[in-house]
Amino acid sequence: MTDRKRIYIRRCFYAVLFFLGLAVLLTVVSFIFSPKDNTEEAGMEEVFANGILGEPEDTIDVLVAGDSYSYTSTIPPQIWKETGITCYASGTNDQSLDYTLVMLKRAFRKQNPKLVLLEASPIYREITPFGRLTAALSSVFPIFHYHDRWKSLRGEDFTRRPEYTLTKDYKGYKYFTKIVPAPDTDNMVKTDEAEPIPESSRYYMKKILKFCQDHGAVLALMSAPNRTYWNYSRHNGISALAEELGCDYIDANLAAEEIGIDWEHDTCDGGDHLNHAGSVKATQFVTGYLTSLGILEDHREDPKYSHWDKALKKYEKQVRKEDI
Amino acid sequence: MKYTPFFSDNLNALLRMLHIPVVLKRPVFAIPIGISFYTMQAASYVLDVYRGKIRADRSLLRIALFMSFFPQIMEGPICRYSDTAAQLWEAPRIRFENLTAGVERILWGLMKKTVVADRLNLLIENVFSGYEAYDGFVIALAAVCYTVQLYMDFSGTMDVVIGTGQIFGITMPENFKRPFFSKTISEFWTRWHITLGTWFKDYLFYPLSVTKPMKKLTSRARKRFGNHYGPLFSGAIALLCVWLCNGLWHGAGWHYIVFGLYHFALILTGSLIAPLSISLAEKLHIRRDHFLYRTLQGIRTFVLVCIGELIFRALSLGQALGMLKKIGTQFTTAVLRDGSLFTMGMDRQDYIIVFVTLVIVLIVGIVQERGVRIREYLAGRNLAVRFAAGYALILFIVIFGAYGLGYLPVNPIYAGF
Repeated sequence: MTDRKRIYIRRCFYAVLFFLGLAVLLTVVSFIFSPKDNTEEAGMEEVFANGILGEPEDTIDVLVAGDSYSYTSTIPPQIWKETGITCYASGTNDQSLDYTLVMLKRAFRKQNPKLVLLEASPIYREITPFGRLTAALSSVFPIFHYHDRWKSLRGEDFTRRPEYTLTKDYKGYKYFTKIVPAPDTDNMVKTDEAEPIPESSRYYMKKILKFCQDHGAVLALMSAPNRTYWNYSRHNGISALAEELGCDYIDANLAAEEIGIDWEHDTCDGGDHLNHAGSVKATQFVTGYLTSLGILEDHREDPKYSHWDKALKKYEKQVRKEDI
Repeated sequence: MKYTPFFSDNLNALLRMLHIPVVLKRPVFAIPIGISFYTMQAASYVLDVYRGKIRADRSLLRIALFMSFFPQIMEGPICRYSDTAAQLWEAPRIRFENLTAGVERILWGLMKKTVVADRLNLLIENVFSGYEAYDGFVIALAAVCYTVQLYMDFSGTMDVVIGTGQIFGITMPENFKRPFFSKTISEFWTRWHITLGTWFKDYLFYPLSVTKPMKKLTSRARKRFGNHYGPLFSGAIALLCVWLCNGLWHGAGWHYIVFGLYHFALILTGSLIAPLSISLAEKLHIRRDHFLYRTLQGIRTFVLVCIGELIFRALSLGQALGMLKKIGTQFTTAVLRDGSLFTMGMDRQDYIIVFVTLVIVLIVGIVQERGVRIREYLAGRNLAVRFAAGYALILFIVIFGAYGLGYLPVNPIYAGF
């Protein structure tokens, strides 16, 4: 073997050694920095959405993913009451699809939902190459996601294994009682135009679809009633994408009149998000779709799901208290 | 393309003032990214050929390669044909030493940008977008933070660019040489954005200085004002042109022009009072090479630079003046006492990590200033030390970088010029 070849092999060996060492270090710091519970005190972000981590194993039938439009348009306790289907709204504010995938992966560790219902708005949110890179890295090394926890590390973070204890009675739903009427807009006037899907979103949608298929779940897309962010051109864009991916797409905006959405009273911020009254109506629309699928079971008689009855009581008590 | 809206707006304002009923159209163009940088690079090639400094290259491919080498497109450095074209054309083989040294430099640059520059962004955005709500102390703090941010962002990006070039075996010109070690504003501009400064010096200042009318003016002024002030008098005209162009190069706005004129005034004043300050120091028996004296000079220069950067960062000249006025008239330290300093986009830990990183950068700067080449020093150490240094730098960026949840992505600042 020539000297040059020997040096080349030695350098390759050092490079492999360096990256192995780095991977070990990143794994160790990822363990330290990952929240040890799904509570705010433990450093977990978006505790409403991450409440799903505290749910008993394999008890969620439908996972609702997406941004703020998802958790303001789906009321899991109402769906439980009417159908016995368990549903969790794991949407987060301004969610982009890379984070949707992170949340799906997290949720599927303990749950096996039969349906993933993705609110379509994040599809029109561009993801930067840097965002894609950090998303890819954080799916392997959570330190890239939780690195900012250096500000609040505690002794137990170095030793304890994660144990998620927090559950949310409204199962991810966030209610708003304020009424801010929406001005008249022509957002849903029919057009043949279709807003193009950003390339980064197409990439993530394929990954999300594959993830769902690999885990035996059906992926469906939905659009919540909206007067500011949504329009017919986007509806067309998502319809075409759904067809391409081979999944269902339901748009509540096309059925807004049928559902009975009253833009004078059913929105908390001038047509962007629904308030509780609007959420109740939108949930009926979602419930109709869920029952029409015929793949979701009614668990109301199953004692394994008795905690859902307790959650429903708390939800109804709150509704009565708020008089909404 | 870049300046048409600015000039048409100002011409329209002038026409209105003169009651001339003519309104010029305000064309707005999409401006290609990095236009200010590669325009300078192309101009330097053409001028060097014109002056006979280099021979015109008959290969269009070689010129295209020189103009479009990807790392430098967005923020420079502004390369000269004679420095980089041949290297690029030769396309040297990637060598292990260059690869590791280049990656180390890229990581160092990423640390400066992600840990400090991007972390300071929220505080700076908050203050500069609504300075009326803050007192003079916070505005002064924001001006200092912006100066630090600009340095860490621009020099950090340059580290990434030059490190990338190094991976490919290309040596690109340095753009920064520890500017905050400068004792005067003149010295500062020989250490900050060096390739822009040398461009203006070579292609504007010197050519203007050696024109016949200027030479005549210099000899007349020399007779009248003596050997120090005479050349300064005529040189001031060339210097004024340089700083007007420097201000305008950064952007089409009056605050950029004032930023240029501000530095012109500082440099000219510095030259004018130099003999006076030397003789004063001698009379007062002050040792000009004393550490304390040099430190005070450094602090003075830093403060002057911060004032300039406040004008530079402000959204308009009116805002810059308003902010400076508040610093002068409403300077209280209330935010330090009531804790509100930690609610403006940075908490206590953010300030600590910025401070720690700046101390690290300062120590490295001092070591480099003494002529130590840190990466070469590291390359001579054993494997364990080199690995430990690499791991420490990577983990520092990963843990303390301002990215992901709770942070907004920040584009390289100079890519906007």
